[in-house]
Amino acid sequence: MIGITSYNCYIPRYRLSQAVIAQAWAGRPMPGCKAVYNFDEDSLTMGQAAAWRLLASAPPPEVLYFASTTAPYWQRSAASLMAASCDLPASVATADFGGSLRCGASALRAALDAVAAGRASRACVVAADAREGAPESAEELIFGDAAAALAVGSDGVIAELVGSASRSDDFLDEWRRDVDPHIHSFASKFSLTRGYQANVVEAARAVLEKAGLEARRIARAAFASPDGRAHAAAAKALSIPADRLEDSRLGDIGVTGAAMPLLLLAQALDRAAAGDFVLAVAYGEGADAFLFRVTDAIASLPRPVTQPGPPPIEYPSYTVYRKLREFLKTRAGGMEVSNVLWEREEPQNVRLHGTFCPRCGRLQFPMTRVCSGCRSAEGLVEKPLPRAGRVFTFTKDFLYDAPVQPTIMAVVDLEGGARFLCQLTDAAENEVTIDMEVELVLRRMRESASMHHYYWKARPRSTP
Amino acid sequence: MSEALKDKVAVIGVGCTKFGDNFDQGYEDLVVEAAHAAFADARIEPDRVDAAWLGAFSPHAGHGKASVSLADALRLYGKPITRVENFCATGTDAFRNAAMAVAAGAYEVALVVGAEKLKDRPVRGLATDGRHPYQADGLTAPGIFAMAANRYFHRFGGGRETLAKVAVKNHHNGSLNGRAHFQMEVSEEQVLKAPIVAWPFGLYDCCPTTDGAAAAVICRADLAKQFHDDYILVKGLGLAVTSGRPWNDADFEYVGFPATRAASQQAYKMAGVADPVKEIDLAEVHDCFTWTELTNYEDLGLCPKGHGAGFIGEGRSALSGDLPVNPSGGLKSFGHPIGASGVRMIYEVVTQLRGQAGARQVPKHDLGLVHNLGGPGAVACVIVLGAP
Repeated sequence: MIGITSYNCYIPRYRLSQAVIAQAWAGRPMPGCKAVYNFDEDSLTMGQAAAWRLLASAPPPEVLYFASTTAPYWQRSAASLMAASCDLPASVATADFGGSLRCGASALRAALDAVAAGRASRACVVAADAREGAPESAEELIFGDAAAALAVGSDGVIAELVGSASRSDDFLDEWRRDVDPHIHSFASKFSLTRGYQANVVEAARAVLEKAGLEARRIARAAFASPDGRAHAAAAKALSIPADRLEDSRLGDIGVTGAAMPLLLLAQALDRAAAGDFVLAVAYGEGADAFLFRVTDAIASLPRPVTQPGPPPIEYPSYTVYRKLREFLKTRAGGMEVSNVLWEREEPQNVRLHGTFCPRCGRLQFPMTRVCSGCRSAEGLVEKPLPRAGRVFTFTKDFLYDAPVQPTIMAVVDLEGGARFLCQLTDAAENEVTIDMEVELVLRRMRESASMHHYYWKARPRSTP
Repeated sequence: MSEALKDKVAVIGVGCTKFGDNFDQGYEDLVVEAAHAAFADARIEPDRVDAAWLGAFSPHAGHGKASVSLADALRLYGKPITRVENFCATGTDAFRNAAMAVAAGAYEVALVVGAEKLKDRPVRGLATDGRHPYQADGLTAPGIFAMAANRYFHRFGGGRETLAKVAVKNHHNGSLNGRAHFQMEVSEEQVLKAPIVAWPFGLYDCCPTTDGAAAAVICRADLAKQFHDDYILVKGLGLAVTSGRPWNDADFEYVGFPATRAASQQAYKMAGVADPVKEIDLAEVHDCFTWTELTNYEDLGLCPKGHGAGFIGEGRSALSGDLPVNPSGGLKSFGHPIGASGVRMIYEVVTQLRGQAGARQVPKHDLGLVHNLGGPGAVACVIVLGAP
């Protein structure tokens, strides 16, 4: 049996309400809001967060695929940096998927194929997107930022793959050239009917036909949706009852690009019962459809897996949103690193390893040759740091050059005893207290020397 | 630690520039003004100097970091010159090294110069070169001490009102000092209303970014009378270094600085000081931020840990108190050109011990203390000076 063994997701803490967008452009507001990344996030960091939630307590996968249409580098593997920051061994087979809204589903298909072919027994698929709609465009209203991660394997399957189908269709719908900052599209009824609906329905029919399953037996349908509505029309065309169709989350998260099909599949799995058939379909220059049957093993997952985390924070104005959205794109400088230092310190700076002293039992950071507790220089060993802890002390600094003031600097006592210094992000100014529970998350720090620089920050703990 | 250096070295001359935004002075102008003032005070010609120590965190642009920036400024060539840098405790450590060389008999007369031209730099605030590219990103100088202040208040109570008392006192003292960067009084209300720099520090809780230089001429104590009678003796010296990354040290309590405790114990022992609060007549301490002065009272043994608020609250550290602290105005009001500050403290204590401090003169002036603190409280240098 092969299929999904676990899943998780990451939704940024910040929200931009439709009312705030409408106010900026003197327009008529839609209801709801969308999830938007903080200024120190991108598709890689969101993907890493989703992946870590999945991998923190699991045996390492042999395959890690990352899919995004907004990966931070044209050339430099986000999957490889993600693998290192999730402390995966060098033997992990990484690959980066992109180029189509469907790339998240393509990565899932490739992972399922790898497991089916016996090339891997455990694979991890991560999809994340942080797409930019042009100011005052329809896309700006609906594009949200999020990441989802699925573990695929042959052991402990909670949703068995029954079948899949794929369609390729060079339909001109939505595109972004290598030189474009924003999406272009022919957004029209024709795009929705001939593009989205035709492909989704065809792919879904193909997989149902292969499985010999009638559409009415589908318990949960997770259809990525370009506008929060068209998926309902597709489900109707397939005779899938509306109450079995996953909400597209247009009203509180948004249209999340390559992450959307995986995110909605995770949402469906949160609600599904053992024996349920779950149909997931992704669209983009064709479609991918997957049919899963939920197994009894789902009972072993503490659900809902996709915990909402600390309560969302709404941006006070469109101007603030725009400033934060642009900050790392426009502000350069302040950080430089050689590949020599990067490489030598990768275990501590990227993998978050510290040093453990077996003589006095102290775990410490940064990695050290002499124990800070008992001064022993013998027998010290490298050891991963727990990524959760409590604030020992902090300050709210208005001097540091950051787009949001204050910058919260915190000394964090990690579980296991190591003490860590970092910025505290994703927190409302008045939320921070001594003893507050936090987790370490990878964040984008600076643009400097023609590189994106990533390092760790603390964030209010999202799970109890 | 022995009493080896006690009374072996004399300060025979001191000099100090006006501290402030010295836009019309370059690094060499500052060095020359301070050094020549010290030479005149010592009643010597520059050539009488056998060796020199330079304390500078970021020396003159174009000279790299070496000692040549002192040689070229003074045209003092062919003599041993060493540059010392130990974070913000640079100036006192330069003095300490010079004093050890003189006490050892290696040189008869030595020059110590502390100088910093911060306003020539294109960026604001203090220099951050030498930092790890990632590990402390976001940390500023006020942030480092503010994290300690917050933990301290979490443990012992207190808050911005206590800090304001330090700012008010040191601004008052600075208002009496013609060389101070800020020569104005501030009210407690003004301090509390100021914009926050790094919580709990507002603008008036932070020392400024300042240009300035100070110098001292020292000699073997047995030769001092050959120059003049108005010399001051080095009674004790201490230097202690702790972790430069206390934020990674699970034992660091964040309520004070063990480096200050260790350095002051060394200096007290050498000087034969058993009860500092009774025996010391005045102290220049490192008040880079108002909270630092509070913890200094405690770490220097002037009051128990957690009782700094009472020490300032009861007026004991005021100019009129039983142990005036920072009669010069301190870093808070006199300014803080990094490498210059420690030597400037020596300048102030020598001036006070000679009874030449004018409006800010403390009444009893036999034994004075200098305390300089560097980095995240990681380097402390303590010097006890006394009238002969």
